Amino acid sequence: MLAKLKPVLFVLAAAALAYPLMPFSNDYLLHVVTLVLVYMVLAMGLNILPGFCGLLDLGFVGFYGIGAYTSGLLTIHYGMSFWVIVPLACLNGALWGVLLGVPTLRLVGDYFAIVTFGFAELVVLFLTNEIWLTRGPLGLPGIEPVSFDFTWLNPDWYFELIGEVPYFYLAVAMVAFVWLVMRRIEDSRLGRAWFAIREDTLAAASCGVNILRYKVIAFAISAGIGALGGAFYARWSLFLSPDMFKFWESFLVLCMVVLGGLGNIAGALVGAVVLIVLGEGLREILPILGLAPETRFLAYGLIMVLIMRFKPAGFFPAIATASARNPLIKDLKKRLAGYASGEKSGTAA
Amino acid sequence: MFEQQLVNGLTLGVIYALIAVGYTMVYGVIELINFAHGEVYMLGAFFCVTFITALGMPFYVAIVAAMLCCALLGILLDVVAYRPLRNAPRLAALITAIGMSIFLQNLAMIIWGSRAKPFAQEAVPAYLAETALEWSGVHLTWLQIFILGVALVMMLGLYLIINKTRIGTAMRALAQNKTAAALMGINVNFVISFTFALGSAMGAVAGVLVAVYYNTLYPTMGYVAGVKAFASAVLGGIGSVPGAMVGGVVLGVAEALGAGYVSSLYRDGVAYAVLIAVIIFRPSGILGRAVVDKA
Repeated sequence: MLAKLKPVLFVLAAAALAYPLMPFSNDYLLHVVTLVLVYMVLAMGLNILPGFCGLLDLGFVGFYGIGAYTSGLLTIHYGMSFWVIVPLACLNGALWGVLLGVPTLRLVGDYFAIVTFGFAELVVLFLTNEIWLTRGPLGLPGIEPVSFDFTWLNPDWYFELIGEVPYFYLAVAMVAFVWLVMRRIEDSRLGRAWFAIREDTLAAASCGVNILRYKVIAFAISAGIGALGGAFYARWSLFLSPDMFKFWESFLVLCMVVLGGLGNIAGALVGAVVLIVLGEGLREILPILGLAPETRFLAYGLIMVLIMRFKPAGFFPAIATASARNPLIKDLKKRLAGYASGEKSGTAA
Repeated sequence: MFEQQLVNGLTLGVIYALIAVGYTMVYGVIELINFAHGEVYMLGAFFCVTFITALGMPFYVAIVAAMLCCALLGILLDVVAYRPLRNAPRLAALITAIGMSIFLQNLAMIIWGSRAKPFAQEAVPAYLAETALEWSGVHLTWLQIFILGVALVMMLGLYLIINKTRIGTAMRALAQNKTAAALMGINVNFVISFTFALGSAMGAVAGVLVAVYYNTLYPTMGYVAGVKAFASAVLGGIGSVPGAMVGGVVLGVAEALGAGYVSSLYRDGVAYAVLIAVIIFRPSGILGRAVVDKA
């Protein structure tokens, strides 16, 4: 089925890439699409922990916030270029990921989730209260947009990215980059170690996987990608405030990952599209019904409950799709199904 | 100053303890962090105010009615959301709990509006606002005495239910080994629902007490209170009811002293810091059993 869809997908992707250059392109739509792209990066970053390693991270937005404020503050105080800031922000995010990761990764399950949650809340409190650094609840306005500075080649070559169109392409490039990295990691030694940890930590350890080391790497990469999303967001929205990094954002990103199917990279992308489009739609519809736009989270909460109840593996379960493609596993499954149906009465337990 | 902070912290602490008991009982029985418990607490306050303003109930009657409603809500939560996931991975149950929490919070926003409201002060007996004791600069209002008294009575009642009744024995049996308890003829689902009802009723009382104490209630009040109560439960040792009581009081006092002497800006930060520190350094808490594996 996927093979048949491929040409259609290529045409759609080409159309989406060409759209902003068309005369009828719409700034609001482009803004929403860019937002979707930012959340795609976040969803792919978060996917590493609950999806690949089986660790529920409720504090992902903390790293997003760290990345965004690193980017914003370095821009305002030092006027650094976006291209220098991005690696710095990623490193700062990853550093905090490791700092949080090393003591907490011995924990599993609920306790791990709670500590990450507490961490993200502390980040928000820090951003709100350390007014000397972050201006607190007033937010951080007046961040410079992204620019290309080639004045060392030619004094006239200084380009500032203004409007939605260049940011759209920048975000597309960012998503493509992160997607490529994720795909490569998924099939590497690193990715397999993560899957092993997720499926059975004890068995992985006895096969010589250094659990703590791989978990810390997972945490660092996840945090770094979160910070990358934040760094871009800061230079795109040009305004930051601590409210943007509340727990609900973490939950929203988690929703995307779960909706698409934990551990499935493409699923995370679809989840980002569905939930952001739904959110924007509800933001338009709810005021008409006389409700505050914030109540759209009601829909998110309900969606999560229903998915967990009826489709706990999400809409594109990673393992199922991978195995469905493999003829050997197909055959094995068929035989097992035959075996199970024959023996059902005997082994029901 | 110090004594006043101590009194304020104690008042706050017993309220945290009332909420924390709900978390810890549910965790003890089905090992689920019931994120929606904070919302039950919030709804307790809203139910109470609605009963007073819409139905004209007297204050004390409205508290009991709010308790009953929240107990029903707790049962509903268990039956609708958690029971179908009893054998699912724990991640699924945890995510469902967060989903229910967000759902209930936004439902309250739709029903009552998102702005903070004052408590129906005209229904609250006037003597509660008066100072009961004053000694060397420390004020103790009747309301604080009322809060401490109610909390004490409820804790005592809970202790008796858990330790002296048949259903309490069943709850403790379930916490130790669900399969064995079922084999002994305990109706597992009924006992779990009862646990939810009991915890939710305690949470509702806490919600009313806080709303009266601060004279305000708003749909997001369950979030921070829920986190703090959960921190209390973890501090005391999750799964341990006396632990939750001790943890709540310790956290309340620590917070009041921290806000008074260190920095009031990080008032909420105390709870998070306690939560993280306890989980990392002593996951079994003050009174908890040793944690083997929480995967």
